[in-house]
Amino acid sequence: MTKTALVTGASRGIGLETVHRFIHNSEDITTVVMFARKSDDFDEAVEELRSSSPVGRKIITRYVDVGDRDSLIENLESVHEEVGNIDILVNNAGYTNPIPLQQAEIEDFEKTMNVNVYAPFLIVKTLLNKGNVFKLIVNIASTAGINGRSGWLTYSASKAAVINMSQVMREELAIYGTRVVCLSPGRTATALRRTLAPDEDPDTIMQPEHVARVIETFASPVGRFIDSENIVVRQ
Amino acid sequence: MYSLILLNGGIGTRVGANQPKQLLKLRGIPILVYALVMANRVEKIDQIVLNYPPEWKESVEQVLEDYAISTPVTLVEAGDSRHSSVAAMLPHCTNENVIIHEAARPLVTKKNFEDLIEDQHANVSLMTPISFTVAPVDPDTREVTGSLERDQLRNVQLPQKFSKADLVDAHSQAEKDKKVFTEDATLVAVAGHPVYFIDGSDVNFKVTTPTDLRMAGFLLRPEEEDDD
Repeated sequence: MTKTALVTGASRGIGLETVHRFIHNSEDITTVVMFARKSDDFDEAVEELRSSSPVGRKIITRYVDVGDRDSLIENLESVHEEVGNIDILVNNAGYTNPIPLQQAEIEDFEKTMNVNVYAPFLIVKTLLNKGNVFKLIVNIASTAGINGRSGWLTYSASKAAVINMSQVMREELAIYGTRVVCLSPGRTATALRRTLAPDEDPDTIMQPEHVARVIETFASPVGRFIDSENIVVRQ
Repeated sequence: MYSLILLNGGIGTRVGANQPKQLLKLRGIPILVYALVMANRVEKIDQIVLNYPPEWKESVEQVLEDYAISTPVTLVEAGDSRHSSVAAMLPHCTNENVIIHEAARPLVTKKNFEDLIEDQHANVSLMTPISFTVAPVDPDTREVTGSLERDQLRNVQLPQKFSKADLVDAHSQAEKDKKVFTEDATLVAVAGHPVYFIDGSDVNFKVTTPTDLRMAGFLLRPEEEDDD
């Protein structure tokens, strides 16, 4: 049976690597929907994917800022109309602006929560309300959500919420047979990591493809044998 | 194809809540949702006839919308008794075969419905053996009047399936004879139509008391809580 996957934050990093692996390695994922903000990086990545993808694979793209609720819902509705049921959802899009507590603005905290917490919630809720039955939901949290980090208050708090929200989703969606996986990567060489640790050499830490491989495993038939409450992926 | 009569009209006084027990939360989800979602996944059920306690129609409609139940649902106000509710829901069934289930049995599975549908007979009920002794008594004198053979008794469960014609006939006979039944397998059998049983499951119990509610929540918890 063929499957459709939706990946947010798909223009680079873990999201793009996940799409790559779904397109090139999966036997049953035939359609991949990519959500990302409009950028040259996104356009180039999509062009490269389309030119290299095996025959029969379909790539659908949407320019979406998942923090913009109206736009997010509008795009979800149009994509659901176009591709039908979304079987696999990877909530990967993330945002951070590491600022000490005394300097953090509430507006920035709200933006962080919008992208990291409310968007995954809205995607799942909107599609469920439309009768979508997910087989697998992967929520990307962070080890910073397990233990808060000095200077990363908004990010740590949002990722802690993702871990907890995933546990609730896992219980509530069990009636549909949906598996909900929460992945908490440690230091990974992504653009977000560069914001958090600008002086770090990205070659010395985990690469996005390593996390994408774990996501690929969860989406494969063997994935259902792995306990999925909160998987820490670190080098 | 089958029409599902989903009984959802009880007020639930025994469970001790100020709302119908079917709308109480079981592991955070309204009890009614469990049976609805399972029935929604059964391909051979293409209509759900759902009743609702008077004054609770909006709440039930909201559940149907929130959980995106895609099988067409016909809503009917509940009658004074279970017996009268089934009689009132039957004319709304568009198929020649009907399944009866009740929302207060949230641990029903898709397989329960499918086993019932696959059985060769027209009128079939899930039933379980009785693990205790039932004594016939005279309730007025409190005298035990005899003995019943346990092997020849069964605990009647839901879901059940019937030929709509047999069920309609049985209800009309009961009305004529002024008899009220608490469930439909014995009603149809007494009316002279053959009714058979297949094995039910002890977890598919009816949530009636607060203890039942806790028990159902325990059985629905994630399996890893059983791990060493």
